[in-house]
Amino acid sequence: MEAVSPSPSDAPPLPKPTGGKAVAADRAAGGTAGERYHDRVASWLTAFAMAWSIIGMTAGVYVAAELVWPTIDFGREWLSYGRLRTLHTNAVIFGFGVSALMGTAFYSVQRTCHVPLFAPRLAWFCALAWQAGVLAGGISLLAGWNGGKEYAELEWPFDIAITVVWVCFAIVFFGTIAKRRIKPIYVSNWFYGGLIIVIAMLHLVNSLAIPVTLSKSYSLFAGAQDAIVQWWYGHNAVGFLLTGGFLGMLYYFLPKHAGRPIWSYRLSIVAFWAFTYSYIWAGPHHLHYNAVPEWVQSLGMVMSLVLLAPSWATLVNGVMTVAGAWEKLRTDPALKFIVLSLAFYGLATFEGPMMSIRSVNVVSHFTDWTIGHVHSGALGWNAMITFGAFYFLVPRLMGASLHSVRLANIHFWLALAGTMLYILAMWGAGVSQGLLWLSLDDIGELSFSFKDIMASMAPYYALRLVAGLIFLSGALLMAYNLAMTGKGRRTVAASPPATAAA
Amino acid sequence: MNAVDLHRKLERNSGLLIFGILLVSAIGGLVQVLPSVLQDDLVTPGPGTQPYGPVELIGRDLYIREGCSTCHSQQVRPLLAEVKRYGPYSKAGESAYDRPFLWGSKRTGPDLHRIGGKYTDLWQRMHLLDPRSVVPDSIMPGYPWLAERAADADGSIQARMRALRRLGHPYTEAEIEAAPAALAGLAEVDALVAYLQSLRPPNAEATP
Amino acid sequence: MSDALGLSALPRLVTQPMAVFKALSESAPEGHRVFFQLILPLSLIPPVLAYVGGSAFGWRLGGGEPLMMPAQSLTLISLAYFFAMVFGLVSSAAVSAWMAATYGAQRAFGTHLALAGLVAAPVILASAAHLAPHVFINMLVLIPALIWSLYLLYRGLPEALAIPPERGMLMATALAGYLLVAIVSLLGITVALWSGGIGPAIGV
Repeated sequence: MEAVSPSPSDAPPLPKPTGGKAVAADRAAGGTAGERYHDRVASWLTAFAMAWSIIGMTAGVYVAAELVWPTIDFGREWLSYGRLRTLHTNAVIFGFGVSALMGTAFYSVQRTCHVPLFAPRLAWFCALAWQAGVLAGGISLLAGWNGGKEYAELEWPFDIAITVVWVCFAIVFFGTIAKRRIKPIYVSNWFYGGLIIVIAMLHLVNSLAIPVTLSKSYSLFAGAQDAIVQWWYGHNAVGFLLTGGFLGMLYYFLPKHAGRPIWSYRLSIVAFWAFTYSYIWAGPHHLHYNAVPEWVQSLGMVMSLVLLAPSWATLVNGVMTVAGAWEKLRTDPALKFIVLSLAFYGLATFEGPMMSIRSVNVVSHFTDWTIGHVHSGALGWNAMITFGAFYFLVPRLMGASLHSVRLANIHFWLALAGTMLYILAMWGAGVSQGLLWLSLDDIGELSFSFKDIMASMAPYYALRLVAGLIFLSGALLMAYNLAMTGKGRRTVAASPPATAAA
Repeated sequence: MNAVDLHRKLERNSGLLIFGILLVSAIGGLVQVLPSVLQDDLVTPGPGTQPYGPVELIGRDLYIREGCSTCHSQQVRPLLAEVKRYGPYSKAGESAYDRPFLWGSKRTGPDLHRIGGKYTDLWQRMHLLDPRSVVPDSIMPGYPWLAERAADADGSIQARMRALRRLGHPYTEAEIEAAPAALAGLAEVDALVAYLQSLRPPNAEATP
Repeated sequence: MSDALGLSALPRLVTQPMAVFKALSESAPEGHRVFFQLILPLSLIPPVLAYVGGSAFGWRLGGGEPLMMPAQSLTLISLAYFFAMVFGLVSSAAVSAWMAATYGAQRAFGTHLALAGLVAAPVILASAAHLAPHVFINMLVLIPALIWSLYLLYRGLPEALAIPPERGMLMATALAGYLLVAIVSLLGITVALWSGGIGPAIGV
């Protein structure tokens, strides 16, 4: 089984010729004299990602608290649940998630191609414009600018801005790949590439709308058609941003951490293409028993089940890779996060197809079980793989060892506890809600009023709030730890490995 | 050339890789989404389904602005218990004029697709401004600011209706001209209540 | 030591847990002995307590009157609960034995089975909360017990299977992953059965 080795790009650079003429001559002969990786943009994106994780999770904790104590919005629109929850989802997905993906993509694409970033100034533009967009977008959401479609709430000016920045992201990323020195494109880049291409396709179609004022537009699609388009977009935003993009992170950072190549190259090929093909079809599982054609629902269900295979193929690849590298766990808290993220990845990618089955969905739809599923993926997979990647990345970017391994280990247990509590609370709430809503008594009448079922959710919501606080406290420890690691330092200058110059 | 050789080619050629990803990821959408989008009967208005009048339209846009869909669905499923609890199940034709659709994906609070006429205007108003004044155990947030602003504060109702007309909603010019007058003197909460009261099965008896 | 792995090992699990796991690693208990002396008794505890609590007090789901179920329903539920417990413990041991080669932890099946039982013991004993059949009380008691069980899993597994702690961490995480998948499958299967008509009446 042929394995693809990760690039040995962290080796100290060999002595390079100095002096302009010597550098030019070396370059002309295909050498890498004087070249530097553009890593400072990755450092900044990492910092932004951590900041958004704190902001986004704090908003999440606040809305969780609002479901326990509804008057803590104090009559203010910008604290109102309907707006603040939208801020939460946007901040964690587009602030935290995309910044982490962009930063790790810029870092890893250079090293898997042995070449500095193409158009580094454009990369900076992407990074900074994206932050400005998320910030302004977040404020707009609190002001009530809302397109009304999930994970696409930002109104049309932001949709245009997203398109512009995304095109630049594509140029930088694919431009770097185009000028690569290693001929085969490494698997992590297929996943990052898939992220960029598919999100572009989804965003362009789903955002089609007629603007009315600066803050208001009407979607081109209506009703049942809009539902199908929306969930083609929505499910694949999860699929290619939250799953695929982070798989790119996994396929780069796991072998780097473990010091071993990915267990099976062939499996990664099969997994990638099967994943890219099947995920797209799964959207209609959000629409079971809704007013869309039956064949669309059934197709969505079947393909969601099919999707289990490529998802778990990657899981196997990850588990087998790390199983061979167990000694590193002794000294490396970052690797623990990656290991745990694989377990939750396995759970979430199993639970999703299971919830797509009509007879399960009939109970789970509209309930907190869906929320639990989202967070097992978001906290257990996305957040943890990012934490693992950052604990590895930041010390290397800063040229220093992690400020406190002990704090990182504490963070590990807090993240595990928070995630588990969240999932258990939402399983409890969701399954009971779903079954109680449908429950009939012996004479065939509804057993419970909606209000009574709602009231019985209170302890689960309280437990979820505790879970969120625990998870957030872990993230705060991490932010502190990374800040101290980088304090007073600048991003280390690293170079592509010298090729054999004439 | 076998599959592995084909893949070797793909991984050595970024253009082929990009094209391959685009092609493979487009298939699902072409098969599933395109027919639905081209299929007119999915958005043919059902019997009795009308475009929203100006007051209901502003109300609907307020519903979106305040994020009501994050807690309330508008899609009664064809399940016995749901039909008993809420009313007739929701059909595609009823959403023909819904831009965007508001079927929702979460019920922290109850489904609202058949809420129209079940409570008086006064109850709805009180519930929106302070839910706990009528439902003590409610965890819904209150929206007191809705009573403080005019329904058409930014004067955009005609622009909204014209934009919708371009998308196929059959508004007459007379209706558009008359719209600001319909909203005169109304606060945002009045428009939202009107929208909620309009959420009923098509061809249902209008409440007096 | 192979005959000390019945319910009598449980008190020592509280006071000297690592000693119990170490003793396990030094013995090679036979699978069927562990099954009858540890697994079956443990599996009986939660369903019996659930039956008693349910018939004496009825289940409280939150607001409103407690749900009193006819004896026949309670019996069926308790039976299903019992089989789910047995299946859960045995399958966890089977998965553990299957994974063992990857982590250098190949042992007799009886060892894996005993490990599963010991790790699950805190949660199983905490099912005493089923006597007070209120969902919230059960959550308050079972969740700390679950945390304790997870602690036993992570610390006890490398001890019991005599592997380095790092390999133990990997294997424990993989097992925890299996447990999560198993629990969610149980939720899904239950719900699918109910909506298919096998269970209390729901209006689908």
